Amino acid sequence: MNWRRFFPREISLRAREALYGYGFILLWVIGFLLFALIPLTETFRFSLNQVAVTATEINLDFVEWANYSRALLTDPNFIELLIGYAVETLVSVPIVLIFAMIIALFLNLKFPLKSLFRVIFFLPIVITSGPVIRELTAQGAASAPGISTIPAVVEFLTQLPRALRSPVEYLLTSFILILWFSGVQILIYLASLQKIDKSIYEAAAMDGASSWEIFWKIILPALSGVTIVNAIYTIVILSHFSENKVIRYIYDQTYDVRGGIGYASAMAFIYFGVMLAILVTVYLLLTRWGKRNTK
Amino acid sequence: MATRWYQPYIGVKNRGINPEGFHVSQIKFYIVLIPLAGLMLLPIIYIFSSAFKPPEELFAYPPPLIVTNPTMKNFNDLFSILSTSGIPVSRYLFNSILITLVTVAASIIISSAAAYALSKKQFRLKQTLFVVNNVALMFVPIAVTIPRFLIVENLNLLDTFWVHVLPVLAMPVGLFLLKQFIDGIPDEVIEAAQIDGASDLHIYWRIILPMIQPALATIAILTFQAAWNNADTSTTYINNESLRTLAFYLTTLTSTTATGADAVAGQGVAAAAALIMFVPNLIIFIFLQSQVMSTMSRSGLK
Repeated sequence: MNWRRFFPREISLRAREALYGYGFILLWVIGFLLFALIPLTETFRFSLNQVAVTATEINLDFVEWANYSRALLTDPNFIELLIGYAVETLVSVPIVLIFAMIIALFLNLKFPLKSLFRVIFFLPIVITSGPVIRELTAQGAASAPGISTIPAVVEFLTQLPRALRSPVEYLLTSFILILWFSGVQILIYLASLQKIDKSIYEAAAMDGASSWEIFWKIILPALSGVTIVNAIYTIVILSHFSENKVIRYIYDQTYDVRGGIGYASAMAFIYFGVMLAILVTVYLLLTRWGKRNTK
Repeated sequence: MATRWYQPYIGVKNRGINPEGFHVSQIKFYIVLIPLAGLMLLPIIYIFSSAFKPPEELFAYPPPLIVTNPTMKNFNDLFSILSTSGIPVSRYLFNSILITLVTVAASIIISSAAAYALSKKQFRLKQTLFVVNNVALMFVPIAVTIPRFLIVENLNLLDTFWVHVLPVLAMPVGLFLLKQFIDGIPDEVIEAAQIDGASDLHIYWRIILPMIQPALATIAILTFQAAWNNADTSTTYINNESLRTLAFYLTTLTSTTATGADAVAGQGVAAAAALIMFVPNLIIFIFLQSQVMSTMSRSGLK
């Protein structure tokens, strides 16, 4: 048996590197295939079918793109929810990013009780997932609905052009909720702020740069890479938030008589497409901005 | 130089950027940070005070933030239901603790190993795998519930302990964040270790993991919450009552009473149960936050 040919004693460095690479990632790939990728393709198949679940099996009836056209063309709620979601996400992302960056800049300074503040601003991480946020939204405490009934605010809102009205109203009522989503982002910004070498600040100060100039010329370009990471993270977290209206709707339709699994799967894919479009837009805007900054 | 809360004499050291102690010019930081910190603390205060609210305060609109007449009634109601349950509550509690521990440990090891490979190793499928992960990151979990159920069924995992753990392990968000952090580690560190004769496992265990500790602690907090609060698995995959979790038990408790005649008591019980479910999250957070905060400055070459 010439087994050496298959298992040579010395393999090339590159092959060994690749082998170790696959070794480290193997477990994850198996789990990912089984519980993410295969279900995902199955869902896509469902979305092209009328799915009927009986006690013993699942019956598929191929309907091509009918589920998709139904969601996009005939469903009275879905498109509206989808547009609402897109607007809310596009409004929230810049706010989360700017808020996180400002807080991170503050927390990067030296002052007494700094570490206590760091902990407090990281705290929302235990709020936005889990029972707390469910309880809060159930009781209407996460938003401030009272704001949109104050006469001055109503006056202000009616004067806005139509297209701007709902984003601004969303902003006013859910401002606190948006801020709660920035725990991890603050942390990521803080981590990369701490990687900036202090001697750069000193050199800039020697050359006569004001702290305003230091922020625009040194800090902001250094943060442009993680800003993209933060933007992606924010969009994903906002889109998977369990109280998200589109998700609730898809969930309700899954077990609804008129909806069904096939229809819900199609909506999930459309939702996924919209989310991807938002993500790509934000990504392209930020990379262009990052390139201009580093020039 | 020891940092003091207040220094009567503000010397040269305290002028300029980064004064050591308190300086009058720092008051502006507090003016900005204290109100915002208050906003961040609101939900915690709310969840604690909710649990002690008597019914009339629970249903007041707008909901009062602080309880005015604290009562233990909600907890008494909750415990009286618990004591009449068929299966001892300690069973659910034990399941939850075990599942959470195994999930957190396993998912951290698997995601960080995968992130290390994706970030620092060279192999052909690397880019593809990362793209695929990012796509999966964007997919709504509820949409895959039914196909996932079929797979779990085919693997004969229904009604087993492992069904609680395995589907949660491949956490795309975790991998995404960890890879970004490992990308930030300079290659020189790894090369230096290789020259000193460190094996790949050694590099992973002794260099990568300690350097991404803040990210690991963050992922640990996130996974802990996902596992601890997970009631869906018990609903979907488990028929055996003694394999279900505390999160599941508490949701059934509150949802059945809320639809019944005593919906008012249900709200109170729900608030008390939410607090009980939340406290472990807070404890883990307090326990791990020092890991997140303290080691952040160490990652990098000098």
